[in-house]
Amino acid sequence: MSKIEEVKAKVEAGKSKLVPVLVQEALDEGSAPAEILQAMVDSMGVVGDKFSSGEIFVPEMLIAAKAMSKGVEVLKPLMAGDGSASLGTCIIGTVAGDLHDIGKNLVSMMIESAGFDMVDLGVDVPADTFVQAVRDNANVKLVACSGLLTTTMPALKEAVQTIKTAYPDLKVIVGGAPVTPEYATEVGADGYAPDAGSAAVKAKELVTA
Amino acid sequence: MLTKRQNLLETIKGGNPDRFVKQYEFMNLIMEAPIGAMCGPGQTIKNGWGITFTWPEGQLGGFPIHDDAHKVLKDITDWRSQVKAPAVESSDEAWAAAVAHANAVDRNEEFVTAFVAPGIFEMTHHLMSMEDALMALYEEPEAMHDLIDYLVEYELAYAEEMVSRLHPDCIFHHDDWGSQRSSFVSPEMFEEFFVPAYKKIYGFYKDNGVELIVHHSDSYAANLVPAMIEMGIDIWQGVMTTNNVPELIKKYGGQISFMGDIDSGVIDFPGWTPEIVFEKTKEACERCGKLYFIPGASHGLNFGCFPGVYESNDEAIDKMSALMF
Repeated sequence: MSKIEEVKAKVEAGKSKLVPVLVQEALDEGSAPAEILQAMVDSMGVVGDKFSSGEIFVPEMLIAAKAMSKGVEVLKPLMAGDGSASLGTCIIGTVAGDLHDIGKNLVSMMIESAGFDMVDLGVDVPADTFVQAVRDNANVKLVACSGLLTTTMPALKEAVQTIKTAYPDLKVIVGGAPVTPEYATEVGADGYAPDAGSAAVKAKELVTA
Repeated sequence: MLTKRQNLLETIKGGNPDRFVKQYEFMNLIMEAPIGAMCGPGQTIKNGWGITFTWPEGQLGGFPIHDDAHKVLKDITDWRSQVKAPAVESSDEAWAAAVAHANAVDRNEEFVTAFVAPGIFEMTHHLMSMEDALMALYEEPEAMHDLIDYLVEYELAYAEEMVSRLHPDCIFHHDDWGSQRSSFVSPEMFEEFFVPAYKKIYGFYKDNGVELIVHHSDSYAANLVPAMIEMGIDIWQGVMTTNNVPELIKKYGGQISFMGDIDSGVIDFPGWTPEIVFEKTKEACERCGKLYFIPGASHGLNFGCFPGVYESNDEAIDKMSALMF
């Protein structure tokens, strides 16, 4: 098994102590940082698919994401300023009036693993704060809004519409337990995902289309 | 006409109920027991474990806060110095209202039901956040086993005090084990960490006169049903439609019963109508049938989030009883 293949396998298995060592070994063998990063992104794609299909559960996804982030730490100094490695910045938050953060955090982790730079606004985020964050951050390509309550669906709609009014071409993805693909379309979002694995796939699809 | 208690037992034992059990009607919930501080609407509180909860006005529930300033358990390997269980309340005064309530219940008609929340899994993530708790199951399994043992010991100490005073017939125990789409952990991990804990807890209750264990998890957890049976759960309350309840009844009816199959989110929302409630109730009753099934919203207590929904659901169940019995 090549070093890069080992990196892929250990990210998928969530070996956060081994991955940085293997990443360093792959670099020492002459692999390019971008190649190693892509291997880890691919690996997290597999993790996301397995989560979406029910083959693995949240802990397995969490430890895989942690393992990847440990590997990325090794690569970061070598890739500083290399914009080609990033899919852009993604602003994420749970909408106003809603304090649920678990699903949003998982989605954030998986979108980051797909190659985005994340700006997490946390929970209970007013619509205007999303817009301000787009203004304040460079290279924003995507905004992800989460809503877990039937009572905060109006806030989700307001967030999407406020963002779209300010930045009509910016892609917006929505999710959360009561959200459906139909609802996403109705409120003007560009994409919907039912779980964290699918969110990463959809996020990538939206900004690379 | 059977009493509420008799009708429930006929339903879950595969006998001859004379109507659908109507949501929580068989449980007379003793909510006065000194189980610890609970967060109400518009409040922010710190409970006996040091966990801070906040419930924003106008929202549907409270949430533990897990920023650096509020997280109780920051390092699982150091849990012994960071987690301190509160004292179990043991004064007569503290229990007086609960005892008076329990004594006033007609036990031929209803089950005197003690309410217990949060559960063991919930306690782990209330103390340290969901992400930390779930990763610790992989990264520090020995420490997690020890922490869970500590939480179980506390619950057993509370249970001993509570059982000696209330002599409950039924325990209604919360512990959410999944999202609406999947269980939080795999059945294997659940078997390793949580089944032994609940075998001790529910075993204690059953050994001390409790006839019925009703466990609340308003989630997907179909993959955990064999574990629920092993733990001694009689009724899984909160079962959501994503679980394919008719299939669960077919597979496990007689070993466990299912209460729910009406997702709260589709009937209990600002724009609810009696017609929507009836439609969803009818669907649930018709697909699940009369045995091993109790129709009701997945919500974990005997009220709705929006005024009138719970009562409307009761009326819909009455109509379905008239149509199907």
